[in-house]
Amino acid sequence: MPPLEQFMEVPSGQKRELFFRDIERGDVVIGRITSIRDFGFFMVLISMGSGILRDIEPLEISALCPLRDVPSQSNHGDPLSYYQIGDLIQAAVKDIDRYHEKITLSLHKSSLPSHLSHLKLGVVSNEDMPEYYKHSTAFSSSNDTYEKVLQQSVALSNPSTVEFLLNTLGIDESKPPSLIRGLQRENFFEQDFAPLLRRKQSSSWALKCVKIGVDYFKLGRHVDAMNEYNKALEIDPKNVEALVARGALYATKGSLNKAIDDFEIALENCPTHKNARKYLCQTLVERGGQLEEEDKLLNAESYYSKALTIDKSFFEAEDALNKVRQCIQKSMEKREKHEEKEEKTKEKKTETSAEKLRKLLKEEKRCCRKLKADPIPAYGCGFSFPIQFLGILKMLVLHRKKKRKRSSSSSSTSSSESSSSSSSYKKRKKSKRKRRHSISSNRSRKHSSSVFTQEDEPLSPPADTSASFLKQDDLRICDSQDRPHRKSIEFKTRNRSLSSSSLDFIEPTGGRSEDSRDSYSSAKTHASGGTSKSAASASKYRSGRRDSTDSYSRRAEVKRRDEPEDSKRSFSRQNSDYYQSKYSMSNSGPRERRSIGSSSRSHEQSLQGSKSTSHKEDRNGNGSTSNDVPGNLLNILSQIAEFEKEKGVKQKCK
Amino acid sequence: MAEAGAAVSRPPPPLYFSLGEMEESCSTAPPDKDKAGKTHFRIIRFIMEAGVKLGMQSIPIATACTVYHKFFHETALDAYDPYLVAMSAIYLAGKVEEQHLRTRDIINVCHRYLNPGSDPLEVDTKFWELRDSIVQCELLMLRLLQFRVSFIHPHKYLLHYLVSLKNWMNRHSWERTPIATASWALLRDSYHGDICLRYEAQHIAVAVLYFALQCYGVDVPGNESAETQWWKVFSEDITKETIDSIVSELIHIYTMDTEIP
Repeated sequence: MPPLEQFMEVPSGQKRELFFRDIERGDVVIGRITSIRDFGFFMVLISMGSGILRDIEPLEISALCPLRDVPSQSNHGDPLSYYQIGDLIQAAVKDIDRYHEKITLSLHKSSLPSHLSHLKLGVVSNEDMPEYYKHSTAFSSSNDTYEKVLQQSVALSNPSTVEFLLNTLGIDESKPPSLIRGLQRENFFEQDFAPLLRRKQSSSWALKCVKIGVDYFKLGRHVDAMNEYNKALEIDPKNVEALVARGALYATKGSLNKAIDDFEIALENCPTHKNARKYLCQTLVERGGQLEEEDKLLNAESYYSKALTIDKSFFEAEDALNKVRQCIQKSMEKREKHEEKEEKTKEKKTETSAEKLRKLLKEEKRCCRKLKADPIPAYGCGFSFPIQFLGILKMLVLHRKKKRKRSSSSSSTSSSESSSSSSSYKKRKKSKRKRRHSISSNRSRKHSSSVFTQEDEPLSPPADTSASFLKQDDLRICDSQDRPHRKSIEFKTRNRSLSSSSLDFIEPTGGRSEDSRDSYSSAKTHASGGTSKSAASASKYRSGRRDSTDSYSRRAEVKRRDEPEDSKRSFSRQNSDYYQSKYSMSNSGPRERRSIGSSSRSHEQSLQGSKSTSHKEDRNGNGSTSNDVPGNLLNILSQIAEFEKEKGVKQKCK
Repeated sequence: MAEAGAAVSRPPPPLYFSLGEMEESCSTAPPDKDKAGKTHFRIIRFIMEAGVKLGMQSIPIATACTVYHKFFHETALDAYDPYLVAMSAIYLAGKVEEQHLRTRDIINVCHRYLNPGSDPLEVDTKFWELRDSIVQCELLMLRLLQFRVSFIHPHKYLLHYLVSLKNWMNRHSWERTPIATASWALLRDSYHGDICLRYEAQHIAVAVLYFALQCYGVDVPGNESAETQWWKVFSEDITKETIDSIVSELIHIYTMDTEIP
């Protein structure tokens, strides 16, 4: 709004008088330079920048800004040379001589009061003029009334202005002033206010629900009781009684972890609640017992000790804790002995690793046959393989790392490489087991014998893996270059995001796991790495439909197992990916378990899995819509083969 | 304490208002105009207090009061239970001014006001019936007011006037006297009567400011020598008489406050 005195048309003599009375040190003024002298410059004030926003332009008040208050703009020369007559200057009032009506200004920041320290002193432009000044000049040209100007201003129609103005005027809305005796704020009690009343009401309401729930519980209607407890917690999320009751219900239902959570929250909210403490201890001990049975002694121990920290006099927990600790010691000793044994065997094995491996493979073959007849005991003999494979794996990894360092094209994969190598031990074991099983169930003897012969040169892989490794790097480069091949990559990385970052992650791991498989499946692999990989698998498809789906599913299996890890690694995944990995996680969990449990079923499962994934592909539209799954796959696989060949060519070119 | 006294002198109306009972509960309402004014005063005080406890801002409260006054401007006081009308007015004002209030809170606070020290109502059929009656009454009010429930309040005018005045006044004399707070309080209190219905918003704002300045003996500088008086600047069509009559009504409200326990 324009200044009030402008509307009131106060005589300028009085305005001037009032201005010199009211202006204070630290106020910000804006003026125009009229003359520059040796000792400073004079300016005529046209507007106020802070404090009292007055109409001062017509008063033609001149002020001096002495030389020592002008900060030098550069290291050399006269600071005054920077300014010209007619410049708009924002300055702070440094001193006022009210009697002689003289004002001294300063351009130094230090002369500003602390709450205005963000203001910039010096030359300003026309746009920087305060709002009120613009209004004031507009007013002097139009001569509207105050009412009219106010009605036109946005500030009047904006409802949040009220809040803002209340703040600037220092009126507190939360403690509204009143002159009526009954409405004096001190007469109100805090507990009469809405939030407190509401809380009180909610808690009593929730208690009622809990009571009903407890009644249900006594009648044995657990579902109804749970519903009531949940309702109570919805009304009052921190209701201790409801939490304890629900925890007890969970405990009786057997979901001890949930029960423990509830009790813990209840105790947090009300640390003195006796029942909560008691129940929590009991549940913790029970859960510990469960874990003990599952042979997770360390976890059990932590549960017991937790129970003890909550209630020191809980002797049950103490007993259990001591027992568990003894058990742990025993098992530790056992393990040590076992490890010693293993080491011995390992030493022996590494001495003649190549020879041994051949033997082991023979053994494996035998196992496979045995597995056919009697699947369950066969697992016992699988035990010694991993150690051997670990040795090979280590060699592989070491070699790759060396290569890595030499090429050092990108660092992103190397980290994933090393991190996954530890887990790949397990993976390999698993895939191997599966392989054995699938061989036994599906493959002809010819196949398995070929496996054996190929396995002869397990020490040669370094050369070929490095080649395939380079290829992986290449793939990344290619990926960004040739778009038309994207589709085939897409197939490989099924439904994963197109972003090359996720490809980076997936390719190495996928490649490796396939690698392991390839060393079984065909001798060609060693010659040309990944290219023949797919070719080989394609040829397998040709060999029999059933067979091909099986191998595909295996591949899918391996990949799926990789996927959760990948998803953990790359946060940049898109939603669909997330869904995909979720899907695979939920799928692979039970499948893995089952594959250990019953072998014949796992095969069916993986068959189903392969079907479902291939259906998914169709839906995701990789360009093919036919329902004939194997034929479809064949097409895509041959595409991959082509692509990779091309890639190989390109690599040579480079 | 005022509300405790009120509870003793006048038994609080039953909290269970079915539509039939509503009319009965107010059969004792005084026919006399002065007595009606006192009842309104009491109810508005109730609205104000409930509003504060509900954390309402000044403008929603003002809307609630205006709705209430307007409602009883249209109908007789003994036709409906004023407390129920007041509760509905609060609820409606919350909606109009975009400060949504929940009926549960309104019922809790009002119940507590009428039955000091009691526990909040159980959430049962009685509660739900009370809630329904509030919603019903809200509909009735809307129809009676022909759905014209958005008002121009003097609050925003007053604030702008205060800002303008602050820039013209000497900083120290402004800080010495709580003119802003006082005028804000006066404005809020003015709703105890039906001033808001009979005068324009700007006029009320100017009068309130005038009264506050007078109370503290503060003069607007340069007012004597100026071409236009400050109050004339803020509102062109206001006369000294209007200001005086509004001020005298304000004084009347405060005398009523001394009469009503």
